[in-house]
Amino acid sequence: MGLDIIVGIKYVPNTTNVNIDPKTGTLVREGVPSVVNPHDLVAVELALRLRDRYGGSVTAISMAPPHAVAGLEHVLGMGVDRAILVSDRVFAGADTLATSYVLAKTIEKIGRYDLIVMGQETIDSSTGHIGAQVASWLDLPYVYYAIDVEYTGDGFIVTRELEDRVERYRLAKPALISAKMYSLEPRQVTLRDKLRAVIERPIETWSNKDLGLDPNCVGLRGSPTIVSKVEFTPKVPRKNIIFEGDLREAVRKLVQALVEEGVI
Amino acid sequence: MSSQAPEERKRRKIRLEDLLNNNIWDVDPRPHIKLDTSKCRDCNYKPCVLLCPTGCYTTHGDDVLFSYEGCVECGTCRVVCPEEAITWEYPRSGRGIHFRFS
Amino acid sequence: MGDRFDVIVIGAGPAGSSAAYNLAKKGFRVALIERGRKPGSKNMFGGRVYAKPLEEAFDGLGKAPIHRWVVKERLSIVNKEEYVTVEYTGRGRKSFTTYLTDLTDWMAGRAVDAGATLITEVVVDRLLMRDGRVAGIVSGDDELEADVVVDAEGVNRLVLERSGLVERLTLRHVALGVKEVIKVDKGDIEKFFGLGEDEGLAWVFMGSVSDGLPGGGFFYTNRDSLSLGLVIYLEGAVQGMRRHIYDMVEELRIGPLFSRYVENGRIMEYSAHMIPADPRAIRPPRLVWDGLIVTGDAAGLLINMGYTYRGVDTAAYSGMLAAKAIEEADGDYSASRLKRYEEMLRNSYVGRDLEKFRGVHDLYMNPRLFNEYPALLTGLLRRLYEFDYEGYKFSKAFSEARRGLVSLPRIFLDLLEVYRKL
Ligand SMILES: Cc1cc2nc3c(=O)[nH]c(=O)nc-3n(C[C@H](O)[C@H](O)[C@H](O)COP(=O)(O)OP(=O)(O)OC[C@H]3O[C@@H](n4cnc5c(N)ncnc54)[C@H](O)[C@@H]3O)c2cc1C
Ligand SMILES: Cc1cc2nc3c(=O)[nH]c(=O)nc-3n(C[C@H](O)[C@H](O)[C@H](O)COP(=O)(O)OP(=O)(O)OC[C@H]3O[C@@H](n4cnc5c(N)ncnc54)[C@H](O)[C@@H]3O)c2cc1C
Ligand code: SF4
Ligand code: SF4
Repeated sequence: MGLDIIVGIKYVPNTTNVNIDPKTGTLVREGVPSVVNPHDLVAVELALRLRDRYGGSVTAISMAPPHAVAGLEHVLGMGVDRAILVSDRVFAGADTLATSYVLAKTIEKIGRYDLIVMGQETIDSSTGHIGAQVASWLDLPYVYYAIDVEYTGDGFIVTRELEDRVERYRLAKPALISAKMYSLEPRQVTLRDKLRAVIERPIETWSNKDLGLDPNCVGLRGSPTIVSKVEFTPKVPRKNIIFEGDLREAVRKLVQALVEEGVI
Repeated sequence: MSSQAPEERKRRKIRLEDLLNNNIWDVDPRPHIKLDTSKCRDCNYKPCVLLCPTGCYTTHGDDVLFSYEGCVECGTCRVVCPEEAITWEYPRSGRGIHFRFS
Repeated sequence: MGDRFDVIVIGAGPAGSSAAYNLAKKGFRVALIERGRKPGSKNMFGGRVYAKPLEEAFDGLGKAPIHRWVVKERLSIVNKEEYVTVEYTGRGRKSFTTYLTDLTDWMAGRAVDAGATLITEVVVDRLLMRDGRVAGIVSGDDELEADVVVDAEGVNRLVLERSGLVERLTLRHVALGVKEVIKVDKGDIEKFFGLGEDEGLAWVFMGSVSDGLPGGGFFYTNRDSLSLGLVIYLEGAVQGMRRHIYDMVEELRIGPLFSRYVENGRIMEYSAHMIPADPRAIRPPRLVWDGLIVTGDAAGLLINMGYTYRGVDTAAYSGMLAAKAIEEADGDYSASRLKRYEEMLRNSYVGRDLEKFRGVHDLYMNPRLFNEYPALLTGLLRRLYEFDYEGYKFSKAFSEARRGLVSLPRIFLDLLEVYRKL
């Protein structure tokens, strides 16, 4: 039987340490390397576990500039079977609508799939729109915050975890889920899989020649969203006070300080 | 950022934390260094504390606290620790520090 | 695994990239395994590379990321607020400043262009041993075989340690280097130091900057940034540290020597790495085993000339010699055959300079070098230059400056030592 799974990967600037130039007040972007969106690695992990459990294959797709092959090599190194980079100048400047459209068309062209797994959100835009939008383009059932999936042959039982409860959904296949961030620990890159990624290079690059989409529906032109202004929240200076004394004393001082600051 | 005059600020040390903020890491959720802190109590000079360039080791009374996130993988703590309290591995999957201008 | 390589190289640093380049160029199937996300992302150094050996190892420098050619050298002896500086300006162009991160990426790129297979993001755990000889490498649950392995893992040589081929690193083996890279205006650099567009300055200093511990500092001009750092020998540091190493570097940055150059700068990176210290201690008992050659820092091939470190060019050169030895071995990679490598190394400038400067480490371990002598020197010059009415005679200035610091016979003995060691 086996499960054919598609995972969406975004290659994002590693901005874990956002550094702001004190002179210009803007983000220092010089030489910031990119990483696979960490929450997408959770999606990859979930997909790989399902493949290991039920057999089948995992295909990673990413709409991104060419340098994102490094990110695809990373997930291939984790054990993903095949990767498709969707890359074309006409796709640049896309908002979530235009992005999800291209991704949906890519998935349609892949054709054979039982399950699509996305990350919960990205660390650079974090709209969390893509999953829902791809699902509506493809008219698929969609569950987010998924932590586990059971394959029943004609569909899935998806467990999703909310703050106060766990829910189970029965979905017909094909379906789309997004994996809850931090719910699984992504596996490491192994020598064996990385070697295969480098030697066999199971990475295809698709441009709009392959997809044949109307240029007015993709990229900047296909993006109705207008970002009018971006402001950085000021860095709140930290006080770094260390409260001395025994535990009781220290806590008393801490509470007092918090009251003085108007925090509590 | 403080309200100090720029001249004065220039001649002031940058806090280690702020210095480290210029670096890029892809932190492995699994610590690549493990510390058996019970061994630290009997350690005389606690050399890791002053020698770890990124301040991963701090003292709290007789105890040593350790956090691996800011580690730049220099290996110094492994060499200076007299008690073999440290289990030291490289982070896997290309994680850890990502130098760009060094 | 179905894939088989002729050679596996551990570590895509200067040594490994050079070995991989020179082997791939000759048609060997080479796997170059690097733990970093990309070559260079784990590499750090002071700031200056000698060009000639690199040119030889990589058949030219082509598009290498060269920042500035060093035409000015400075050496300062520091005693707290006072310092004495010697400056040499020459026609230079023998060495250049750069970021090792970029240079390493370039070197590994040369290897890939020549046909080597670069495998990043993979940590080698240990050597694969079969019938007493090295037969490949192990990473996690995976093994990869090859006819011969080149170890170029650098100074923190966990692979060699774990395979039981070298002893565990100890305090005597290594020093710690810490550096800040500071972005400044390109024009300012040229103005401050009287440099042309692609000309650079290399500046080393010692004395009270290391709190009296064996060690010293370095300062290099890059294209539009400065590299400022400190090296501390771990041997003395365990008991001798008086403050955090970060404080020492930061106080250097805002101290009298450098604050005016860096005060308008922005920190770009803060990095640290170990350096081979005593060459006799860190050099493994042998550099070849059946199926294995050890190169670069892992082999302790760093030359400390007292006023400058050379490890990048020597690493690259050793990688090239390892490739030559493998080629000459003609399929027989027994230790006795690979011994050619040790011989070629000994007869090269690397071996000769290691021999020449072998004693420098002992001189460095003399604490008076970092305390009494800097104080004596600055004390002497203070008396000679700073007076209101009457000047000092040299002999009087000298004996006064020396008083309470160090005795004449002691100075004599130390000088004798310097003469003997160099
Ligand atoms: C007007 C406008 C212009 C923009 N211009 C640009 C631009 O020029 N360049 C640019 O990089 N961004 C641009 N963006 C941002 C870009 O639209 C979003 O980053 C992108 O649509 C994904 O949204 P998100 O990051 O919030 O993903 P989320 O919805 O938070 O992501 C959820 C999941 O969807 C999947 N996913 C997301 N993106 C991709 C992808 N590209 N490929 C495969 N899977 C994916 C991942 O699994 C991810 O975890 C622009 C946004 C707007 C509004
Ligand atoms: C503070 C400081 C200042 C210096 N200044 C100078 C200078 O100005 N000029 C100069 O010429 N030299 C200088 N050096 C020395 C120089 O940096 C080194 O001698 C040189 O980098 C050695 O090259 P290498 O290839 O042997 O090792 P490295 O450069 O250390 O490269 C080793 C590579 O192997 C990888 N690796 C390690 N272990 C594994 C593993 N298990 N699996 C996979 N990959 C692994 C590492 O990630 C790394 O990329 C300085 C060093 C320091 C620390
Ligand atoms: S040197 Fe080792 S034993 Fe001592 S405090 Fe540090 S980690 Fe603990
Ligand atoms: S390896 Fe270096 S940076 Fe990392 S914890 Fe040890 S001393 Fe600190």
